[in-house]
Amino acid sequence: MARVGETHAPCSTTDLVKISRRALAKRAGMLGLALPALAWADLATMTSGLAQDDPLVAAAETGLLVAPEPEPKRGGILRTAFGITTTSYDIYQGGNVAVLTHLYDGLVRFNPLDGLQSIIPSLATSWEVSEDGLTYTFNLREGVTFHDGAPFTSDDVVATFSRAINPPEGIISIMQSFYRSVESVEAADPLTVQFKLSAPQADLLTALAAPFSVVYSRAALDANNQDLRGVVSPGTGPFVFEEYNEAERWVFSRNENYWNPELPYLDGLELLHVAAWSDRGTAVLTDQAGFSWNVSVETFAEGERRDNIGARQVPSIGCYMLYINSRREPFSDPRVRRAMHLALNRQALIGAFRTQETIALTRWITHASPYATPGEEIALLPGYRAEKDEDIAAAQALLAEAGFADGISGVELLAASVAPHAEILAPAIQDLLRTALNIDLQIRVTERAQLVEEESAGNFDLVLDTPTITVSDFSAIGNLYFRTDASQNFGGYSNPQFDELLGAADLEMDLEARTAIFRQIEDVLDEDPPWILIGWTFHLPMWQSYFKGHGMEARTQSVWGRLDTGWLDQ
Amino acid sequence: MSRYILRRLALAVPTILGITVLIFVAMRVLPGDPLAMMGSQGQSTRVLTEDELAAVRASLGLDRPLYQQYLAWMQDIARGDLGYSFWTREPLRDQVLRRGPISAQIAVLAVAISWLIGVPAGLISALRRNSWLDNLSRLLVTAAMAIPSFWVGLIMVLITVRLFSWRPPLTITQVWEAPLVNLQIVAGPAIALGIGLGAVVMRMTRSAALEVLNEDYVRTARAKGLGQRALVAHHVFRNSLLPVITTSGVAIGGLLGGTVATETAFGVPGLGTMLVEAMTSRDWTVIQNLVLLYALIFVVVNLLIDLSYAWIDPRIRFA
Repeated sequence: MARVGETHAPCSTTDLVKISRRALAKRAGMLGLALPALAWADLATMTSGLAQDDPLVAAAETGLLVAPEPEPKRGGILRTAFGITTTSYDIYQGGNVAVLTHLYDGLVRFNPLDGLQSIIPSLATSWEVSEDGLTYTFNLREGVTFHDGAPFTSDDVVATFSRAINPPEGIISIMQSFYRSVESVEAADPLTVQFKLSAPQADLLTALAAPFSVVYSRAALDANNQDLRGVVSPGTGPFVFEEYNEAERWVFSRNENYWNPELPYLDGLELLHVAAWSDRGTAVLTDQAGFSWNVSVETFAEGERRDNIGARQVPSIGCYMLYINSRREPFSDPRVRRAMHLALNRQALIGAFRTQETIALTRWITHASPYATPGEEIALLPGYRAEKDEDIAAAQALLAEAGFADGISGVELLAASVAPHAEILAPAIQDLLRTALNIDLQIRVTERAQLVEEESAGNFDLVLDTPTITVSDFSAIGNLYFRTDASQNFGGYSNPQFDELLGAADLEMDLEARTAIFRQIEDVLDEDPPWILIGWTFHLPMWQSYFKGHGMEARTQSVWGRLDTGWLDQ
Repeated sequence: MSRYILRRLALAVPTILGITVLIFVAMRVLPGDPLAMMGSQGQSTRVLTEDELAAVRASLGLDRPLYQQYLAWMQDIARGDLGYSFWTREPLRDQVLRRGPISAQIAVLAVAISWLIGVPAGLISALRRNSWLDNLSRLLVTAAMAIPSFWVGLIMVLITVRLFSWRPPLTITQVWEAPLVNLQIVAGPAIALGIGLGAVVMRMTRSAALEVLNEDYVRTARAKGLGQRALVAHHVFRNSLLPVITTSGVAIGGLLGGTVATETAFGVPGLGTMLVEAMTSRDWTVIQNLVLLYALIFVVVNLLIDLSYAWIDPRIRFA
């Protein structure tokens, strides 16, 4: 049996962290977090090099998180600035995760103390995975209560995840694919729950640790006919719902009965609705808000210049790309897609877009993932390297081979009616492909909802889009976007070799072997691209320096989760 | 008078009904399914599948025939019910009551500012016609009319952020809760809007005053030895106001309905930003009811303008 507290991933290789990554890596390495070979090692071995009172050890062992800084202060209200509107109060039916997750807990969670690199206990105090990888047994925390005073039991976990994997009629489950191998969830006793899988799923714990995998109360689900879209259901989380003024603010107060007696330090949260990135930035710069998950490039630069502001770019799980309709000529020919992949000058696009958003030079796996190909390797690869002559010559040869030696005309590029897309990226792509391959793109700008409708109906040649995914693990992304007949595979991409490798990655529990499979997958996607990937982006979180305990300095991936370890140094 | 008011109100009914049909149809023929974006909240851009869309449509009653949906809306209106958010079922009335006073304050303040700028400037320009003062104010007015108020707003925010590390508050504080904080919210948009509107008022005042100055009764008053101050105060000023009031009345109708771009530039949570948010999330019920509310405001404001004519100019009668 595998043991509690294992890492889900090796350390990130990003070199953009401002804090001492060496110090973090040293501590994380001692825990086995940095070394794939120790991924399934016993917790005692993993923590043997650290003092028992080290917060990292305590969190990994018990899930009882504390602030990373010594002697955090209590009290105060933190104001945040980001988009807080929601089409639903039900996270599994499209609710705003970044907001609602503060009211709830999951079975497990990413550890904010190590930059979200390891998975630690939360409502589950420990878990075991059977040797065949088909049964996950979670031992639940005793004495936890929902905000309405009802006790938390395995029955609540069963009700929550049974609905998520098998939604009743009239209910949708947006997160369903993240639990794709889970066949049933069963309660062994009031404090033990088992997830039964049809096949091993290597990214299941990662999905369960994501901020969207919250546990609802069975009583609330039953009372509302399993539909929580119009109800802010009581959770077990660190904050309690107080008030929501639509498109203005959410007000949460401290959960006085939270199962972790140390948290939260804050008396409450006030989540302000600030739609524009620049307004989020000015809100932090002027102390209208103490924190924002993502601000505009120019306000971020201003924040970096100020002593009273903290700012850091964090790899995100969103990217810029072109959907290609593989069902249509000439894109059904992999040589045409490969030619475009090779010829596109990514450095030029990244440079052109620098004033709007920071895009990294990446391959198919986000740089927020520890499985990502290191940047220095990517910079040498065909299609990604800065020197384009050889790539363009190869691309032209491929097009000639495919019967398009004189180029391609009459191709439509669909772009959303937002200035950065329609006025910067789309024309830049149009120009690059025309210059390199004589591919003549006609840009059609349309409203976002219309774009999504045409995209999902497969009514397009090329679409410039920016999908954001909630989990950095490529198994989750591949099964959502690239696998044959996947729900978001709008271009109808199908590559049996890719499907086979993705299936193998799903089953592979060894991190090193999994990394090797992902590298093969990236090679396959480079050869037969489903998209034209421009690159994964960075988020630009910014905060007033009095806001501490969030661990943003160490984050390896931008996951908009709970701010429960935060405190105000005022 | 009362017959006139009743007749105007009766005429407003088909106008309002026409607007309800127009906005109802417009929302439904617009390309793009709002439900397809339902999964795009927070940190995700997942698009719903056909099966999921069908389930959501059914649960929201959108699978019913259009006439049934329209009649259901009309029933709500007949009950005086502004309805609920399409998505979260939050009552729209609460939001309008919370945000409405902010937009109303901005509108009233903007008009007041426009009068403070436009009326004296217009009168001075008319009285000093073709002087350097007149030329300068006409130049400034042309510039103020050409620059959109949201741009003025953006520049104001930029300057206050860069120079003073200050920007207007982002949440609503009503005037009766904390007047000074409330003033910080409404002052910026009111000034930005007031400058543009003030330019229009100035032009209207100037041309009206020039017309009045050429009237026989003004010449007579001058001939009888009436001083310039008394002439302007008692004859020119009052008689120049009619077109200014018409302009301001129409403007205040628009401003009460929400000054979308300017509120957005300042991040002020008024009715304008509410409409923007509703458009972004395709919240049909909010859009429908807000547009209807704006239409009602216009009808009422226009009626009030017509009635005010009689008070200002006794020659006008509602026969």
